[in-house]
This record gives sequence, C-alpha cells and structure tokens, in this order.
Amino acid sequence: MRFVFLQAVRIRYDTSMKKSSIFGLIVIGIAIAVIVVIYAGASTYGSFTDARKTESVLRVVGHLDKQKELYYDAAKDANYFSFYVKDSKGEECKVVFMGTEPQDFQKSEQIVLTGQMVGSEFHASEILMKCPSKYTKDKLDVTDVRAKSASI
Amino acid sequence: MNKAFQGEHLLPGHLGQFFVILSFGGALLSTLSYYFATTNKDALDSSWQRMGRWGFYINSLSIIGVCASLFYIVYNHYFEYHYAWSYTSKELPVYYLVSGFWNGQEGGFLLWTFWQAVLGNILIWRAKSWEKPVMTVVAFSQLWLASMLLGIEIFGAKIGSSPFLLLRKAIEAPIFSQPNYLSFIKDGQGMNPLLQNYWMVIHPPTLFLGLASVVVPFAYAFAGLWQKRYKEWITPAIPYALFACMILGTGVVMGSLWAYESLNFGGFWAWDPVENASIFPWLILVGGLHVLIVYKNSGHSYFTAVFLVLASFIMVLYQSFLARSGILGETSVHSFVDNGLFWHLVAFILVFLGLAIYLIVTRYKEMPISKKDEETYSREFWMFVGAIFLGLSCFHLVLVTSIPVWNRIFGTKVAPPTDLVSHYNIIQASFAMVITVLTGFSQFLKYKKTDTTKFFISTLVYLAVALLITVPVVYFSGLYKLHFVFQLVMLGCVYTLLVNGKILIDALKGKFKLAGSAVAHVGFGLMLAGAIIAAGTRGLVSVNESGTVAIAGFDKSAQGNKISGDSHENMMIYKNEPVKMGPYLVTYAGDSTSLPDHFYKIDYRRYDDKGKMIESFELKPKVQLSDKMGMTSSPDTKHYLTHDLYTHITALPQPKEPASADGQAAAVHGDENDDKNYDPPISHEIAIGDTIRFREGYMVLRALKKETAIQNIPITDSDVAIGAKIDIVSNNKNYSAEPVYMIRGKNVFDFSRTVDEAGLKLRLTKIIPEKNKVEITVYQQPENKKPWVVMRALDFPFINLLWSGTLIMILGFLLSIFRRNKEIKPV
Repeated sequence: MRFVFLQAVRIRYDTSMKKSSIFGLIVIGIAIAVIVVIYAGASTYGSFTDARKTESVLRVVGHLDKQKELYYDAAKDANYFSFYVKDSKGEECKVVFMGTEPQDFQKSEQIVLTGQMVGSEFHASEILMKCPSKYTKDKLDVTDVRAKSASI
Repeated sequence: MNKAFQGEHLLPGHLGQFFVILSFGGALLSTLSYYFATTNKDALDSSWQRMGRWGFYINSLSIIGVCASLFYIVYNHYFEYHYAWSYTSKELPVYYLVSGFWNGQEGGFLLWTFWQAVLGNILIWRAKSWEKPVMTVVAFSQLWLASMLLGIEIFGAKIGSSPFLLLRKAIEAPIFSQPNYLSFIKDGQGMNPLLQNYWMVIHPPTLFLGLASVVVPFAYAFAGLWQKRYKEWITPAIPYALFACMILGTGVVMGSLWAYESLNFGGFWAWDPVENASIFPWLILVGGLHVLIVYKNSGHSYFTAVFLVLASFIMVLYQSFLARSGILGETSVHSFVDNGLFWHLVAFILVFLGLAIYLIVTRYKEMPISKKDEETYSREFWMFVGAIFLGLSCFHLVLVTSIPVWNRIFGTKVAPPTDLVSHYNIIQASFAMVITVLTGFSQFLKYKKTDTTKFFISTLVYLAVALLITVPVVYFSGLYKLHFVFQLVMLGCVYTLLVNGKILIDALKGKFKLAGSAVAHVGFGLMLAGAIIAAGTRGLVSVNESGTVAIAGFDKSAQGNKISGDSHENMMIYKNEPVKMGPYLVTYAGDSTSLPDHFYKIDYRRYDDKGKMIESFELKPKVQLSDKMGMTSSPDTKHYLTHDLYTHITALPQPKEPASADGQAAAVHGDENDDKNYDPPISHEIAIGDTIRFREGYMVLRALKKETAIQNIPITDSDVAIGAKIDIVSNNKNYSAEPVYMIRGKNVFDFSRTVDEAGLKLRLTKIIPEKNKVEITVYQQPENKKPWVVMRALDFPFINLLWSGTLIMILGFLLSIFRRNKEIKPV
C-alpha cells in the first residue's frame, strides 16, 4: 500500500517521518496483533486422551456410537442430552450436551465436539455434524449446533 | 449407450444445453471483440465494438434461454433431470418452484451471470467512451461464469456443471438400466423445509445482484489502469460502487433477517464462514468507495482506492470459492458440496488476481500518487484511515474464515478458536468502535485543511454529549454486563448518530448534497447499535427462575478457556399446564397439522401485580417431521416496537403421537392397551352433585340419564344404558364427558370417555342403586405420558433498530447514487 511503498518525504518537518508511514506502521502492528490473537486462540483437533490431560477447551473429532444409548428425558431435565462418541483413535467416551438432541444427529457420520472433560464425561458446548446428504450418497452436508447459541 | 428411455422429455434439456454453449460462445466473441476494439488504434473503425456488442447480446439472450429452459423443466416436474429431481417436488407451490430454480449451485451461477448480463447491457447503453475496455472485463467475467455451467468433458476433465444433467447420468443405480425407469420416479426429492420460506424467493436474487454489481467498479478501475486514463474512471465508477454496496448490504441483511425469522439457531448472525464470506466484498468496497471520494476531492489515496476496488471483486470470487468448493466442509453449516469445480473456481480467482496484480505492478510508476503528505486535520486523511480499518476488519475475517484453506495449503490441521463467537465479536467490535468514531469526527473536518480550534471544540462537545447519552443507554439496556468493548461500540454509535444527525439537519437546511452520506451513516450507527443490544442483551424467557444467564460470546471474561455458565435454555411444558416463564404465563395449548407442517400453539399471558391480565397472545412455532429430513423446527416471533419475543420447539415426544382428533373414537372401541398409557385407575363411589378431585383439578357428577343411542350401537327396549354427565375443571379449563354403562341381556358393557386435553379417561363402572350412588373410575395420564413440548423462548430487545437502521442506510446509499450520478459528465 502507498504508505508502505512511499518514501518518507517531508516538506515542512524534514526530520519527522511522513504521517502515512507512521500510520502504515500502526496498521502493520494491528495486522500482526490480529494474527497473534488468532494464533493464540487457535485450537487443535484432539482425542479424548488429550482432553483428559488438559484443562482447556478443545475439539474432538469422532463418530456417534449408535449401539449405545442416547439419553434424553425432557421430564427430568430438558437441557441434558448424553451419548457416546468414539474418537478418531477409537477411544470411547460419554458426552454430555446441555441442550436438546440436534437435528439429524443420529444420521451423522462424523461429529466434531468442542468442549472439555468434567470427571469422566466430556461436556460439549458445540456439536458440529457431518451428515450424509439427505439425497445422494456422494454429497455431504454439515450442521452446526451450539449449546449456547450464537448471535450477532 | 443408445438405449431409448420411455417418457423422457429431452428437448428442453437439449435446448437448454444449446443455450449454455451459445452463452459461452457469445461471451467469448464479446470478450475478444471488445479486446480488439480497445486495442485497435483506428478510432473510426467501430466494427470490433459492434461485434463485441453482438456477442454480448447473444450471451444475454442465451442466458434468458437457459433460464426459460430450466424453469420449463422445473415447472413441468420433469424429474428425468437431476436438478428438478434434487430440488423440487410436485407439491411445491409455484413461488417455491421459482426458488427451487436457484436452490442448487448451478442456479446460483445462473442468477449471477443473469445479473451481470443485465449490468453489461446497462454499461453498453451508458458507458460511452468507457464501453470498450470496461465491457472487455465484464464479458471476460461472463465467459468464466458461462464456463461454470458448461458441464462438458474435455480431455477427461470436467468443465463446469450443467443444470441440464439427466438424473440417470448423475446417479448410478440399477434402475436406470430399465427403459421405463421414469415410471418409478414419481416425485422429486423436494425442497429442504428450511428453504420453503418467502425469503428464499427474494434473498438470493438480491444477494447475487449485489455480488454481480461489484464487477462494474472493478472493471472501471481495471480499464482506467489499462487505458492509462488514471483519473477519469473514478467519477463514473462511484455510482456503481454505491449501488453494489447498497444491494450487497441489503442482500446480506436479508439473509440474516431470514435466519432470524425462520431458522432456529436463535439469532440473526452466527459468524458462520459462509456468512462471513458474504461481507468480505462489502467491507472492502465500502472502504474503496470512501477512498474513491477522497481521491476525487483531494487527489490523495489513489493507490489505496485502486487497490481496494480491485480487491473487492477478488473477494467476490473468493467468497464464491469458499461457499462452493466444499473446502469449508468441516466448519460451515451451509456451504455447498464440491461439484468438481474446485480447481475451476481457483482458476477463476487466480486469473483475475493475476491480471489485477499485473496492472498494478506495470502501472505503478505512472499512477497519480500524491507526493504531498495529507494534513492531519483534513477529512481525506481520516476517511483514508477509516477505509484502512474496514480493510483490517475484513483482513481478520478472511484470516479466521480461511483456516480450512490454510490447512489445505500448508498441510496443517489447525482448528478455529474454540470460543469462536466471542473471538469474532470482540475483535470485530474493536474495529467497529474505531470506524464509528471516525465516521463521527471526520464530519467536522473539511477536505484539505480545517480550523483546528473549531474542530476540537465541536468534536469534544459532541463526544461529551454522546457520553452523557451512552451512560444511561448502557445502564438500562444491560450492556454494562458485557465486555467493555461493546460499551465502547455503543459510545461510537451514539457519537456517529449525533454528529451525522447534525449534518443531516444542516443538509435539510440547504446543503442537500451531503444528505446521502449523513443518512447512510445514521443508518449504519443504528444498525450497529441494534445488533449489539439485540444480540448482547438477548434475554432468555424459557427459564424457570428469573435470573440472568451469561450470553455466549459477550462475556466479560475475554478468555475462552472455560465454557461459561451452562445456559439451560430449553424448557419442557406439558399440554394445558401453564408454566411461569419470565414475565409470562406460558401454556402449550394444542397443536394443529397442515401437512407437512405441524403447528404448536403456545399461549402467552402476562398479568399485572393485581393479577389482572394485561396481555394475551398465541405463537405458533412450526415443526416439520419427515423420514428424510428428521425434525425441522422454525420459530414464531411476536414483534413489538421495542423488542421481539422469539419461540421455537426444540424437542418433541418420540415418536410423535397421532393427532388427537380420533382419540374419542378409539376409546369407544375399548382398546385395552390404551390403559397402559395411564396411571393405575382410582375408583370413586359418588352420588349426583359429588366432587372428585384429581391432580390438576376436580370433576362433578351432574346427572345420570338414560341413553337412547350410543354412537353406532342401536339400543333396544330390553337394553339399559345409563350415561353419567360429568363436568371437569382441569387447569382452570372446563370440559365435560359422559361415560356410559350398559346392560344387554346378561352382559355388562361400559363405554369409557377420554378427555385428551386434560389427560383423563373416565369409566362408569358400577351402579349401586341401594346407596343411590355410582362408581366412577378415573384414569389419569402420568406426567410423562401427557403431551409435551420442549421449547426455547428468547427476547431480543431493540432488534428493530437493526432492521430500520439497514433501511435508512439503503436510503442513504440511494440519495448518494443520485448525487454522484449527476456528477458524471458524458465523455
């Protein structure tokens, strides 16, 4: 951009840098800050074993164990849904989601869970599902459900 | 394979495919002719230009032909075509058939190329001396769009994806070996229920018009550099840039209005990658627009103007790549699946990016870049700063949204930040704060040079007033509970509103030229303020205990380390049992079905302190249940001037019980299994006038009377049939039932009566003449067998500011278009 390319030519104050050059440096600074914030905030895809080792929130990729029970009893707690997921390394863990069963949940082929371990259960705040398409096998579509739904 | 298939209608498809190829040919002819017309030195020779026009006309007419053929196929339900089969079905009404038309990727391209053709024709008519170079660019872009629809194979590589693909070619199945396969395909797959909404009819055309119109300022900038007419392109490009910003902005907000009205994520913006991608070009072009005006007025910021205008179209191509290539598969809800166009889309971007970079590099030295430094107290400097901040905001969105792209390029496996929403909210709010403050105080500056003292006085006075207004706004709206950056944005919005309001008043007094920008800035400020308040202070209504629940993404703790407070947003309610939710008494009053929709009547009542009802209304959130799609829920919203009450169903008993209309009939036929649905029965010996109490109320035996007929069973003189008239009060609602006791010969029958609404079944089981009493057996449904729904209700305060702000901003753009249009001198 111009403030980067231009030489610092100053008419009135020979010693100071051109204003747009200073502004250019500020912009570059902000850009670097943005990158650092993203880099610091970026998470990784992990397994349940990784989740046990850390206190922080992470993403686990796996698939729903359809043999095991999906538990939801609206009469007891309308915000408690639990199920079992096998992560990509084959480890299975009980997952608790504070909400209702997401749409098309049982058809999902792959699940990305965002959350953390609480005791021996994985508490998910977000479930991202990859479902086989409603129509044909060669298509995929994805649904995203958040326990605390997003806005703005 | 030249097998004849019965019942296929191949003509419209062949015709459509012919038009697709013709549109490609027309665009090619037009591009080449306009190119030679531009480079031709002989000014009197207009033959190339004429050919370019004809090529473009052919292209435009062919596109209409393609649309007509595709619509004919969809309208007549020719399911031998993959497109018709995939996206429509026979039961869809005509206006959804229209939206089925742009449901698929090919339809989206078709819409885009259609609008671009319309714009091209306007340019042919109006661009005068700019026609040749500008139309070269537009026709070249048409060429690429046409290639996306070709659907032909060249050297084994598939070029484009045609909407006229036959079903039997799209999907491999044994059924297609039968010549009469069509007789087995009775109906199409239909449209996703979420898309069956009037917004789906108007949102895509608007959005695509916005995306298509970004090509015009790009083409002007491109032509300006190419033809070395460095300064002249700015003036005619400004109205088109304004138009593109206006329509694109409208399209994006329509999308969020659609999401808010009919999708169930409970909001109007979710920072989904596809949503983010749609505002990349908008942010860049709004920035570009401002520096275009800066250059026009002061001769500064030329490079930035060129850079941003060129980048806006690259962003259009990039967002199309993100949405259509399937690359967002793991992070987005509504991206398309790769149709085999991945590299085709990449090439589309790279070609235009390459040409733009080539022009910038080769023309850089000749650009009229001002060597003078801007004055610090000049409007142009701060408008330039604002444009750069819009660019930075876009830069951040691009970086995060493109994480799957970086993973693909660098072979990494980085996941987006875990608390993505608050990440976006906080960083974007920071940029928004800077931008609102800039749109405020730069109004006090003049181009070139301003009187400093006057400037500081007015800036600070307005800032002080804004602060005085913001403090109560933040306090009463509840914004103070959020991260401080949102309060700063609020301050920025109030400041912008005040300053631009003042400019607007001045404008009405005479300087009418300035009205456009002032109106647009007021609209922008209102829009942002509405978005922050509505999303940030959203209230949860479906909660038992009153209390505040932290809203994700707005928390004071900036660290996304912990999942903050489990917000129990869903509540279960039994039919006809009022539940207190926030200020309302909410009752699930019943359901009705109008296939494929099931409506759930949710009755809301509000009482004042004295127990007097001050408000009563009913919301009918909708659910569609199908094997294919599962449960699809759409909200219903009560709109007030200052807030909205939003309600949707999140869970239902499974499987869904049949509609209760025939409950009565089933009970008469004495289905013994039915008893399993009730708690163990309780028998009461009562006389006329006695009362029986049960969980939700009481019932009174009013009378015993001799029956003369029991539905379809004739009663003869030798039979004795007695009915017990019982009045029931359950949850303050009145019902009545009349169970019957009958003696026929030596057999005793009794006919129970069910009151589904109250979850009761009553039998008259004994008559005890000696005590003058009868025995009534009461069956009551256990709590969890009673019909129930799980619902979520949210309250969005001041969301109307968002929508009205958008309308005002559109109006401002419109005023500016009229003003800037007058400035074009015919060249």
